[in-house]
Amino acid sequence: MVLEAFANVLNPVCLGLIWFGTMLGIIFGSVPGLSATMAVVLFLPMTFKMDPTRGIALLVGLYMGGISGGLISAILLKIPGTPSSISTVFDGGPMAEKGEAGKALGVGILYSFIGSVIGIIALAFISPLLAKVCLLFSAADYFGVAVFSLTIIAALSGKDMLNGLIAGLIGLALSMVGMAPIDAQIRYTFGNYQLLNGFEITVLLIGVFAVTDIILAGFGRKTLSASFQKKKWHLKGYGITMKEFVQQIPNVIISSIIGIGIGILPGIGGSTAGLIAYTTEKSRSKYPEKFGTGIIDGVIASESANNAVIGGSLVPLLCMGIPGNTVAAVFLGGLLVHGISPGPLIFDKNGAVVYGIYIALLVSSIFMLIFERLGLPIFAKLLDIPKHILLPIIMVMCCVGAFSSNSRVFDVKCVLFFALLGLFFKAFKIPSTPLIIGFILGSMFEENLRQALQASHGSWAVFVQRPICLCFLIAAVVFCTLTVRKNLKEKKAAEAAGEQFDTSEEEG
Amino acid sequence: MTNKIRDIICSVIMLAFGTMMIVVAKDIPNKLGDKDVGSGYVPTFIGICILIVAVSKLVLAITNKKPSANQKIKWTSDSLGGFGTIALMAVYMLTFEKVGFIIASVVYLFVQMMILSDKTNRKPVLFAIIAVALPVAVEALFVYAIKMPLPVGYLGFGG
Repeated sequence: MVLEAFANVLNPVCLGLIWFGTMLGIIFGSVPGLSATMAVVLFLPMTFKMDPTRGIALLVGLYMGGISGGLISAILLKIPGTPSSISTVFDGGPMAEKGEAGKALGVGILYSFIGSVIGIIALAFISPLLAKVCLLFSAADYFGVAVFSLTIIAALSGKDMLNGLIAGLIGLALSMVGMAPIDAQIRYTFGNYQLLNGFEITVLLIGVFAVTDIILAGFGRKTLSASFQKKKWHLKGYGITMKEFVQQIPNVIISSIIGIGIGILPGIGGSTAGLIAYTTEKSRSKYPEKFGTGIIDGVIASESANNAVIGGSLVPLLCMGIPGNTVAAVFLGGLLVHGISPGPLIFDKNGAVVYGIYIALLVSSIFMLIFERLGLPIFAKLLDIPKHILLPIIMVMCCVGAFSSNSRVFDVKCVLFFALLGLFFKAFKIPSTPLIIGFILGSMFEENLRQALQASHGSWAVFVQRPICLCFLIAAVVFCTLTVRKNLKEKKAAEAAGEQFDTSEEEG
Repeated sequence: MTNKIRDIICSVIMLAFGTMMIVVAKDIPNKLGDKDVGSGYVPTFIGICILIVAVSKLVLAITNKKPSANQKIKWTSDSLGGFGTIALMAVYMLTFEKVGFIIASVVYLFVQMMILSDKTNRKPVLFAIIAVALPVAVEALFVYAIKMPLPVGYLGFGG
């Protein structure tokens, strides 16, 4: 079966399709507003008439390229091309500003590849075991996961925890708009039927991260041309020395494991994986204060985690038919279209296709490593475009991206709403990242809370009686306490040193 | 405006927002009765959390006697450029559907580039070429390659 899979994949047509898919995926991933999901959705109909292995190979390439491509705009434009790359912005952006765009891109690409390969190995060898563990999770356990993930807000709030909480709570509130889970009750739509499905995450990201910056450029237009300097960059290999590579081994292993774990848990996805890995590495680091100022550790944590999600998300998808995230759900549709029914029997019924997926993923990650690296001079050229020309172009692409997410103009208008919200945040020194975390985790938090309470007939004891949930809740309390303690310690140290500690300062 | 006033304004806005969340959540019916906590439960919880955070922030802001609290925030931004950009974006997004993607984008791109540029780097001819070429290329990509038409507007331009 394995040999058959090799023969099916390692032929010119299939390899060409994987290359084409990876290349297009990178383009979709790199353009803000376009996404891996969109790439897989748009090219899914093209695979209908193909042989299953070839069709799936094209989708695999799009998925892999789409997730990885997000790092390009995250680093060069400080705008995450896909939600998975949010945390890449934190250090990738400052690195580019320091003239290390090439190094950030090189490192990002290399560790995307390493994260992907670790994810694929996990998928191929430990998937049945992990799938069994995942089967033990109940709604209460997922609620525990959501609560733990929400505590990331504490770590990402910068020096003012209250401002971080405000942002996180607004994110949660925004996720309440539209039809509620469980009973489809309509909430906070104020009679607007366009809001029935709630806000799109892509639209929120475009508005808060991209368009707000364009408006701010308008406010600072007098210094726009003066502040713009062509970034010089030099890159040898992948921009990392052997010493740095060895130093980063624990980081990449931990981040990839986080990515695989998050990928396996349904409904979370690459953005949360990147954020958790980034925060974990920051907490683990000997120099946490350098995070956000442009160091490779942050880029490595984010990129290895969000690419490891790919392998992780395919574990429950193939073994149980449960998609780990949106793009995996679309991928599931692709498998079904080709007559492949995911489940425990998939290895018996479609073994050759499953092994073909493993091989296609591996080939695609190699293509990604080569193509993105070779294309670096072209991608980095984006920085040479003057901002007064580049920003309006980005704005148009953002509007197109927002429109194409649902083919409706309403989403384009929402972009402006979120851009103004982002502006409000800037004016009041409120960090934007907790807003995104709150928004992403809102529905998961509510759905599992209500499901767990329904199953326990309204008893809240269910959350402490389930060992998995209890572990996550304890971890959440410990993590939150440690972060608050650390913040207070830093504040006292700053005050003792006679430095001004502005509690309203935004995170770095 | 001082840092203190800014924090007080922020707290008051959040108090109003939290109250709105709770008031609206009160009217959300519980379809499943005793079997479920209802769709208004979590929004009410979030609203209460917002009120708690807002009150804490307000109290901290009022009682803050550090010199930095009364430090004035200097407004050095270019209001015309900023508000002009917001107004232009609003017009672009509102006319996106009515006049179509191509025309709206051509006008937006040209005017936005003019607003953001200064006398030294203002090149109207180059701006005009980019303003026309980009929307046409994007339209061609979406219509012919991706098969996803963009708004053509009442004038039926593009598509």
